[in-house]
Amino acid sequence: MTTSHAIPAGLVLALLALLVLAPMAGLFHLSALPGYQAADLRIWENAYLRRVVYFSLWQALLSTLFSVLPAILVARAFAMQPDLPLRRLLLGLFALPLVVPAVVVVMAVVSVYGSDGWLPLGRSLYGINGILLAHVFFNLPLAVRLLLPQWQAIPQHHWQLGEQLGMNGLQRFRFIEWPMLREALPGVLLLVFMLCLTSFAVVLTLGGGPRSTTIEVAIYQSLRFDFDPAKAVVLALLQLGLCMLVAMLTLKLQRMPEVEIAISTPHRNRTNLFRWFNLGIILLATLYVGMPLLSLLIDALRGPIGETLGDLRLWQALINTLLIGLSAALLSVTAGWFLLQYSASLAREGRSKAAKLVDLAGSIVYVVPPLVIATGLFVLLSPHVDVFDWVYPIVIAINALMGLPFVIRCLGPAIRQNQARYHRLCLGLALQGWNRFRHVEWPLLRRPLGLAIALVAVLAMGDLGVIALFGSTQSSTLALMIYHQLGAYLVAKATVTAVLLLLLCLGVFVFVERFIGGKSDAGN
Amino acid sequence: MVTVLSRIGAVLVSLLFCANLQAATPNLVVYTYDSFTSDWGPGPKVKTAFEAKCSCTLELVGLSDGVAMLNRLKLEGTNSRADILLGIDTNLTAEARNSGLFANHGLSLQASALPNPWQDDLFLPYDFGYFAFVYNQEKLANPPTSLRQLVDNSEGPTLLIQDPRTSTPGLGLLLWMKKVFGEESDQAWAQLSPRVVTVSKGWSEAYGLFLKGEADMVLSYTTSPAYHLIAEQDSRFAAARFEEGHYQQIEVAGIVQTSQHKQLAREFLEFMISEDFQKIIPTTNWMYPAVAGEAVVPVEFDQLIDPRPALLLDETSVARHRKGWVDEWLEVMSR
Repeated sequence: MTTSHAIPAGLVLALLALLVLAPMAGLFHLSALPGYQAADLRIWENAYLRRVVYFSLWQALLSTLFSVLPAILVARAFAMQPDLPLRRLLLGLFALPLVVPAVVVVMAVVSVYGSDGWLPLGRSLYGINGILLAHVFFNLPLAVRLLLPQWQAIPQHHWQLGEQLGMNGLQRFRFIEWPMLREALPGVLLLVFMLCLTSFAVVLTLGGGPRSTTIEVAIYQSLRFDFDPAKAVVLALLQLGLCMLVAMLTLKLQRMPEVEIAISTPHRNRTNLFRWFNLGIILLATLYVGMPLLSLLIDALRGPIGETLGDLRLWQALINTLLIGLSAALLSVTAGWFLLQYSASLAREGRSKAAKLVDLAGSIVYVVPPLVIATGLFVLLSPHVDVFDWVYPIVIAINALMGLPFVIRCLGPAIRQNQARYHRLCLGLALQGWNRFRHVEWPLLRRPLGLAIALVAVLAMGDLGVIALFGSTQSSTLALMIYHQLGAYLVAKATVTAVLLLLLCLGVFVFVERFIGGKSDAGN
Repeated sequence: MVTVLSRIGAVLVSLLFCANLQAATPNLVVYTYDSFTSDWGPGPKVKTAFEAKCSCTLELVGLSDGVAMLNRLKLEGTNSRADILLGIDTNLTAEARNSGLFANHGLSLQASALPNPWQDDLFLPYDFGYFAFVYNQEKLANPPTSLRQLVDNSEGPTLLIQDPRTSTPGLGLLLWMKKVFGEESDQAWAQLSPRVVTVSKGWSEAYGLFLKGEADMVLSYTTSPAYHLIAEQDSRFAAARFEEGHYQQIEVAGIVQTSQHKQLAREFLEFMISEDFQKIIPTTNWMYPAVAGEAVVPVEFDQLIDPRPALLLDETSVARHRKGWVDEWLEVMSR
């Protein structure tokens, strides 16, 4: 019997490799052409670059720990309070920070912690403090969203057993929750680590200066400022390699729990003390995530709302933004679906190492800078086609690629559990293909599917990088428009546009999650 | 609200009927930076004005900055669709010249407003400006009067600057320091460094942080206060005048060698140095127009500081030393 989904998954993997390696090869080849300086590849001898590598890893590591460890507490608190008022809205809010363009996040963070801010930190904001504040703002809520479903998967009788055995809170965490968490946690750690490693504008601007230079900045510098494509490729490979190492380490942590067919209902805390503790945690996290967003909202309400919204081009940009976001999300989720079904069937057959590698291949592409992919694609395509006609497909493809690790994190555990529980049943009933999707997978997986689509859609909607690389004839997306407004002294207008983008994303998030994820109010 | 809704409706309708109405008129493609093509830049007005007289279509393609434009053109080589490159500055002209991708424009700059005479067969300037530290007069009473004073006074104002690797003003300051301090510029940077609050990726971040009150002064242009005067009727902002003079940025355009529409491209450059184009520049690009003329510059520009003497390093020495100087800067600033 061949492993199911091997062919489409193989196709996706081949496409991924092509989309990542071909541009790199194109760039590398370029530097051999006459007119380009010979690449200076003695990277490790360069003290400056060594420092850059060290700093990148260090800030990414710290940011990851400060984001994910508190996120476990927050996700747990949400899981234990299924009837919290405004829960759905709060969780929607937690999807937003990732959307905000970096330059706007810098402004929002400064509104809260800057010298004229609500909690002024003064000069000490610039440096590792500022980097951490911004990265935790981006990633803590994301980690909460990704970890929360793990509590949902805990079978009810585990809780009952725990109660009969008289476990205290710590013991319950150790013996009931931790084993479920261990499946998702390494992946979430890796994802957040990748996001922080590739951070650029936030690190440079809040980091206080070139002391805070990441590898991503060095790649940008070698491709743009020095125009040394080979060096950019080597640096990109270095970044990829470092990430691979970290991935190996985190995956060592990963343990797949036994999956059993069981009813899971949200576990409620009985004691009042725990309830207050959880509410306190949720309140703190909401304040932390909400304050920068609130400061944006306040600035926007004071801004020229009518004038900004009355601009026709804004609505054109809004429609483009929506189209790009939704197309990228569908593409990304489709690719991720086949990869994950394949890796789940590998895991089912006991080939868990191979399964992990498939997941890893889908995730790790994230750290190849879009600038490298875009420039490389340009080198490959421009002699043959008019690249301007291809801007939107390319932008959508790259955004889908960048969304893939999020899809893998959202959907991975659910698909694995689904296959482990129902694969034999489906074989027995000869359910396959579309019928299996309709009757078994869709009803059980629609919630994580909804989350994955919503997450990738809003991510792509907030993306600014890719479209700017190819050149545009007008402000074609909201993120680009914000950037143009900031570049034209129009800070107030940019804030209004940013809040509109946020509201749009919130709308898409809530709508997609409800429409695809279904109305179940256990809501994740 | 009704007007807003009706406008939204109009957009939706226009999107539905957004058929590509391309007539048989020639298409002139101009690569430029995206703040030029943006809805608030000179682009839209320039397009309307030129198309009114050329019976052609002007296609402005916005790339992120001058470096990106030049790199793009090099990557495209002889396949480029571009007829004109508009928006590189004199720090890039040597590199552009050496690429061999540009053709002679055959025009001369009459009635130049530039502080120094302009002579160049390949590139023609359309505007220029001077870098300066901008401050809020209500918050900073005694701004430094020279770059040397700014550097020497360890109790001096705090600063927001941009990274020379990613930003034009950032590179401008690097060259400004080089011009004034020469071989001693790394010491000067070391002295300045403790007062640099942060070094941002681009101009927008630094200027935004300045408006939020994060530092006393921000590296920008002498013309920045004109924006606040004209668009916001706000006279609080000023640029500090430095005795040594201010480093200059001259923005130029050139005709691409492989262009199929060289005659039309030449007409565009002629239009570029005419009053119709030049009068758009001050209040959209917030720079000085390259051509002197009565009606070209708004009166508010008279309130700006006189930045002369204009400082500029020649293009060949910038091209030769840029990388080394940036490495030197990185070394000092990373300590």
